[in-house]
Parts: sequence; C-alpha cells; structure tokens
Amino acid sequence: MKMIQVFDPALCCSTGVCGVEVDQALVAFSADVDWARSQGARIERFNLAHQPMAFAENATVKGFLERSGAEALPLVLVGGEVALAGRYPNRGELGRWAGLAQHGPKPVAADAQPAGGCCSGGRCC
Amino acid sequence: MNFLDQPPRFLFFTGKGGVGKTSIACATAIRLAQAGQRVLLVSTDPASNVGQVFGITIGNRVTAIPSVARLSALEIDPQAAAQAYRDRIVGPVRGMLPDAVVKGIEEQLSGACTTEIAAFDEFTELLTNPSLLAEYEHIVFDTAPTGHTIRLLQLPGAWSGFLEAGKGDASCLGPLAGLDKQRAQYKDAVDALADPVRTRLVLVARAQQAALREVARTHDELAAIGLTRQYLVVNGVLARDEAARDPLAAAIVEREGAALAAMPDILRPLPNDQVPLQPFNLVGIDALHRLFDSSEAPGPLGLEEATPLEAPSLASLIEGIAQDGHGLVMLMGKGGVGKTTLAAAVAVALANRGLPVHLTTSDPAAHLNETLMGVRDNLTVSRIDPRAETERYRQHVLQTKGAQLDEQGRAMLEEDLRSPCTEEIAVFQAFSRIIREAGRKFVVMDTAPTGHTLLLDATGSYDREIQRQMGGKGIHFTTPMMQLQDPKQTKVLLVTLAETTLVLEAANLQADLRRAGIEPWAWIVNNSVAAARPISALLRQRAHNERAEIDAVAGIHARRYAVVPLLQEEPVGADRLLELTGVQQAERMVLLD
Repeated sequence: MKMIQVFDPALCCSTGVCGVEVDQALVAFSADVDWARSQGARIERFNLAHQPMAFAENATVKGFLERSGAEALPLVLVGGEVALAGRYPNRGELGRWAGLAQHGPKPVAADAQPAGGCCSGGRCC
Repeated sequence: MNFLDQPPRFLFFTGKGGVGKTSIACATAIRLAQAGQRVLLVSTDPASNVGQVFGITIGNRVTAIPSVARLSALEIDPQAAAQAYRDRIVGPVRGMLPDAVVKGIEEQLSGACTTEIAAFDEFTELLTNPSLLAEYEHIVFDTAPTGHTIRLLQLPGAWSGFLEAGKGDASCLGPLAGLDKQRAQYKDAVDALADPVRTRLVLVARAQQAALREVARTHDELAAIGLTRQYLVVNGVLARDEAARDPLAAAIVEREGAALAAMPDILRPLPNDQVPLQPFNLVGIDALHRLFDSSEAPGPLGLEEATPLEAPSLASLIEGIAQDGHGLVMLMGKGGVGKTTLAAAVAVALANRGLPVHLTTSDPAAHLNETLMGVRDNLTVSRIDPRAETERYRQHVLQTKGAQLDEQGRAMLEEDLRSPCTEEIAVFQAFSRIIREAGRKFVVMDTAPTGHTLLLDATGSYDREIQRQMGGKGIHFTTPMMQLQDPKQTKVLLVTLAETTLVLEAANLQADLRRAGIEPWAWIVNNSVAAARPISALLRQRAHNERAEIDAVAGIHARRYAVVPLLQEEPVGADRLLELTGVQQAERMVLLD
C-alpha cells in the first residue's frame, strides 16, 4: 500500500479547532484521515509550524514551497508523487489512493475546500 | 517556622500576587543556603521580581547570587522560553525554506499557547534533570499567581494521561506534539510533584477572608492532582500590641484575627506559620534575612514627621470617567492588588449616578458576588467563567462544525476541544462579546492575573484576522483592538499598591500597553496606609515607606492618579465600596436610599 503524506500549512492543530473561527474543511479532513487509518490506510501528516524540517528535506515539497509559497498548501503526496495540492482530499479520494476495497460510509464532506488554513491565519497557539 | 522544618528537595510557594510569596521564597532560599545547603531559587512568575529583590539581573539561566554563598537563581521568563522554543524549531530550516514561509511559521508559533508550553517544558526540566538534582539540595519555586500556578501544575497530570492514551498524533496539542518524545520526563515530573518525600507545597496568604478562601481553593485543586503535602503561611500579620492606641491598627488586628478564626476548615489541619508584618520593605538580603526572625527585627526606625498625604481620591477619577456617559473601563495590574474590589467600587459609583453599568470579571477566582452583596437596578454583574465559557464554546463548535461528522469524527473533535487553546479562545470570545456593549453603557472589567498577555495577544491576532476578512471589502468596521486603543472608548486604570516591586511591575505593564498602542488613563494606588493616616508606630513607618512610591506614581508614571486608603472594614457591599471611592457619607445615604 502506498504511503499518503499530507503537508499541512502552519497549523496550530490539525483539526483547526484553535482558530478564531474553526475551519470546517479541517474538521472534516481530520475525521476522514481518522476513518481511513482505521481502515488500514497509511497516512502521515506534517504540520509546517511544528515539523518544518520534513518540508525542507523533501525535494518535491521544498520545490513546491519555493514555486507556490505556503499559501498553496496543503500538498498531498502518494507514494512520493504529487497527488493533490491546494485543497484537502475527500474520503473517496483517500480510499482510492489507499486502495481500500470499500469507501466505507458516505463521505462527511464531499469537496472539502481549504478556507484559509487552520486557525484561519490567526495566531491561535 | 514549621514549613522550614526538614525541607524536602522541592519547595513550592503559591498564593495570589501581592501576598509576599516572592519575599518568603527568597527568604527561605537564603535561610537554607546560609544553613550550608546548595539552593536554586526559581521564579516562574511572568512578572518575576526575584532579580529586583537581590538587586541583580538574573534572567532565563541559572545565575549565582554573589552576596549569598551556595545560592543560585533562575527566572523562567515565559516569553524568552517561547522564543528559544521557536528558535529550536525554525532555526534549522532558515535558509532552506523561502523567507516568507519561515516568517509564517514564526507567526504561528508566537501565541500564548506556545508560551505556556515552552515555560512548562522548562519547569519539567527542573524537576527531572539529573545534573541539576545532583548540584542542588533544594530547589525553591516562587510560582506564578494562583490561576497560572494551577494551570502549570495541572498540566503534567493532564499531559501524561493524554500521551498515554496515545492520541498525541491527531490532537490539538499544538506545539506539544514535539514533546511526545519526552513522555518519560513528564511522568517523572508528575511523580516528583506528587511525592511528599520530594515535594512540599507552601500556601501563602494574608490574614484576609478572601485570601484564605482563595488558598483553600488552591489547596483543593492541588491536593486533587496529588500534591497532598501542604503547609500554610499567613504573611504580614499585624502585631497585636500595635492596636493599643491606633483605631486603624486595632481594626486591622481585629479583622485579621477574625479572618484567621474563620479560616476554612480544610486549611486547619495544615501545619501553619504566621509571619509578622515588618516595618521595612523586603528588598535586599538583610531585610529578607530578618523576615523569619523577629528577635532580630528592629523596632520602627526613627521617622521624620511627614506632612499628611494629600492625594486625589478615586471619586475624582470617577468624575472624569462618568463624563463620557458610556465606555469600557478596564482595571489592570498584578493579582492581589485589589482590581476586583476597585472594579466593583467604580461600577457602584457610576451606577450610583444613575448611569447604566455592566460590571464583569474574568478573575478565575472571582469573588465579585462576595464583594458586591446588594445589586442596583442599573447595575448588572457578570463573570467570564473560563470553565463555563469553554464548555459553551465546545458545545457550539460541536453543534456547528461537528454537525456533519460521524460518531468517530465527533469523538476526535471533542478530544481536540479539550486542548488548552480552547479555553483561551473561548474566554477571548466572551470578552469581545461584552466589550461591544460599551458603546451604549459603561462596561467595567477587572482582568485575570495574567489577563493582559492573553488579551493583547488574542486581541491583536483577532484584529489582524478581521482586517484580513473585512479589509478588502470596503466595509466600515471596528475591531476590539481599535476599541481598546481609542481613549474615548476605553479607559485603562492601572492598579498597584505602594510597594516598590508592585509599582515597578505596573510601570512594566504600562510600557507593554503602550507598545500595543494603549495609553493607560490613570493609576490607582490601593490599600494605602499613608492615606489612612495611622497612629501606630509600625503603621506610620509603613506609611512613611509608601510616600516614595506614591511620589513615583504621581510624578513619573501616571498622567492622573488616585490613592485609595486602607479601610478599617473590608470593602464588602455597595455602601463600603462607595466609601472606598471617597463619596461623602451624607451623599451616600441619600443616593443609596
């Protein structure tokens, strides 16, 4: 099974609950990740604010940041290759990439749109 | 002194600001060092003044105190700790990632949550670092005001439980994510705190009802997380023989005696000590050395007969505040200087003029209801209760953002909403909600002991956020920060006591506020003995000592100021609160009718 790597923007927390306004997209995506993992998917998340080294050491991610900046995050790599950028994947996409036979219950948010990142740009933490 | 008997490795002094725990912690450290022990004195107070007490600069590293052999000190400055933490994370990628990206990371790591966690990290280090433990026989902690202390001390238990549950990855522990590696260290810190052989907790209070109730609450909360070995020190007790010819001294002696007699039952079994009120200021090693040793204490020093203090009363400030008819009045200063009482006094005085007033407190140990028994029609009283606000906010997020989630997702969101950030956001939102009322009526607030940092920080980021959202749309808007910066809308009253360190701290707070573009409107020197015109020799010496501080406030720090006398009776209830403002007895009778 291919590893799914999610490179988040600088978040206080991966669900975005610590922002001035809680980001719906992050809440939904975190739930989807939790679901996919429980189905056996291998997913790693890296938070730019806490693990910047993971961004700097990956040539693909580093190049992406230099070209498009942190505003273009999140970036999703599947098996090391770019699968998606600029928005979070939905439950169906996660399931397909992870090769899960069934996509489980109905996706919680069909097309989670990024809404300015977790903590909505505020200094939540 | 019981609490000095066979002291264990770790000594914690806790209590509200202004009760003198810095002095007692310093004096304890000096005493132990002079008895031949190697001692480290640690201040975790965000407004640490240990350096001032010893007359040297200490800062965020272990510093030997030149004048006391075997004594070293360390001030954990939460801001500096946070900066070091940021450097650890950001340093390695500087130059590797684009500058704008690095700047964004720094921005994200510059909030209150990072500060708290970075300070906590250092605190844990002190309890578990083997080389420190080998070097020092005693580590004496002069901890922060109560609310902050409790948070610091509660964290190890909370984190350990949390990390053991294995939820570290998904959760909103924010910067703590990186601390998962040190799980064993956190467990050791918790064990050390809860081990009576290693840890003694000394509750410091004054002989005042509210202060004793406060330490009883602290006692409960800390005992609940395993710190069961507690001692009580009642500081600054006025000697009985001072009461003989001075009605004020007699009233104080009687009041203190009554407060001690009515001490909460839960405190009674604790080994306890009383430290007498000293005529001298507790600055410098000689003064601290004498603190526990009444035999060495000199009588009142020869004092010149000073002219009676002539200073503006609180009523003169209230006159100025009332003129605008509405606005936000915020009382700021260290915990224990009487912000809550003065906020109540200002609110009652404004309400007494028939003006609409909303009095609110964010003091975690709020006793507004205790202070204000008997409420007026045009005066509403509320409390920003951090726990209630946090719960309300949690429910709100779960019902809105969590509405679409399945059970598992909901459980995870719920878990994340237990993070320390949530409380800050929730309290801040409650604050923003209330200050909006200030366009129509008076909103009078005290602030939590560490409230100003939270406030400035949270308000600042909220400000940027609103500007970001609204800025492009050409809509007219006012952010809470803009409201705080406008002197027509907001009046900040800095509260202090006439004591060297407290005046310095208030001046530091004023500098912080000015950096944030907020100009304090006035200063209030509270509980002044000088303004109370005492007769007792000891109190006159205290009054004499106060004059230099009051002069500094009047001449250097404040644009306008008032001095509030120490009263014979504790200012509880509307009538005595009005007395505090200097409203004359006759007026009061009419107005209160």
